[in-house]
Amino acid sequence: MLSPYGLDIIESCLTCKMRAERLFCDLPTAALQSFESIKYATAYPKGAVLFVEGQAPRGIFVLCKGRIKLSICASDGKTLILKIAEPGEVLGLSAAVSGKAYELTAETIDPCQVNFVKRDDFLRFLKEHSDACFKVAEQLSEKYNVACHEVRSLGLSHSAAEKLAKLLIEWSSKNGESLKQEPRLKLALTHEEIAQMIGTSRETVTRLFADLKKRQILQTKGSTLVIRNKAALRSLATTG
Amino acid sequence: MSQSCLDCAERSDRVFCDLEPGTLQEFDGIKSFQTYPRGTVLFREGQTAHNVFLLCKGRVRLSVCSESGRRLTLRIAPAGEVLGLSAALSGGCYEVTAEVVDAVEAAEIARKELLHFLRGHREVCMQVVNLLSEDLHIAYDRVRAVGLTRTRHSSPHTSPAH
Repeated sequence: MLSPYGLDIIESCLTCKMRAERLFCDLPTAALQSFESIKYATAYPKGAVLFVEGQAPRGIFVLCKGRIKLSICASDGKTLILKIAEPGEVLGLSAAVSGKAYELTAETIDPCQVNFVKRDDFLRFLKEHSDACFKVAEQLSEKYNVACHEVRSLGLSHSAAEKLAKLLIEWSSKNGESLKQEPRLKLALTHEEIAQMIGTSRETVTRLFADLKKRQILQTKGSTLVIRNKAALRSLATTG
Repeated sequence: MSQSCLDCAERSDRVFCDLEPGTLQEFDGIKSFQTYPRGTVLFREGQTAHNVFLLCKGRVRLSVCSESGRRLTLRIAPAGEVLGLSAALSGGCYEVTAEVVDAVEAAEIARKELLHFLRGHREVCMQVVNLLSEDLHIAYDRVRAVGLTRTRHSSPHTSPAH
């Protein structure tokens, strides 16, 4: 088995062990076989751009392994990271369905395996398999939810401190960490990237982290962040 | 505005409503036609989504709210739109609050009925996917407008919640 970029490539969706856990991939056998015949398994190194905001849609990308940064850009070059996509997500979906340009830029932050499907093949597949159509509707609904959440966070938060506190609480709510006395989370993004997620500058993020550490709300151990005072962080998330 | 979709003169201009006669008749059987005065809240952000609303006439303001009660208008939905669709499909809570701007006439459909209807009509399911894609495009435009143009203390489109 070839292993580009250190990835263990899953060649066939039919034998993929992860399938049952992933929203889009858990399809009935007939639909899965049909999908298998139209998809191209591809591998990308870290830093590869799958598609760029404004490009005409070529197709959809099902993320099998690795993580992908989804961002939007202003004409002055200012970037806002909307989400870090995880395995199981389908990217470029609304653009492929509507025929409008991709709304986001997708860039790998790890080596990734991605299954690509051409737009025409995908639309035909959806028309023939209503189960897949339902799953696409669910994925679009989930993305809409994320977009509304982002508008709320960016448009209604008073300060960068509030937005950063909200982001850290959101990250720590994964994997049951929030139930612990002192939740831990792995900081996978740079201060620059965190700044792009909350719409502020890198300098502000660095200053806020220093302040949170000084106030004993956070502690860092290598790239692991420990939330030492959950109540104080929550209070910051609601009041700024 | 006709209470029956079968007699509606606007149908052919609206993405969701332009259905085959048999499908339309079935849809007509699962919807209830209602009128709502200005200021009515059709659904509130955070509520479990039990219904979707097909807007036949009038306009509805879609907004999001902060914990402190400030409100940000996402957009004004015109007639022909289906509101609450993504929340109903995902089985979660409404992401936004929908408040009637002008007197509204709407077809209300229970989530369970809608899902059953979609399962039986592949072509409508595809229409729904198209509508959701459009909603998402608009939402991303809003993210871009709010996130990339707003400065720290300016909030021109926000208002205290009612």
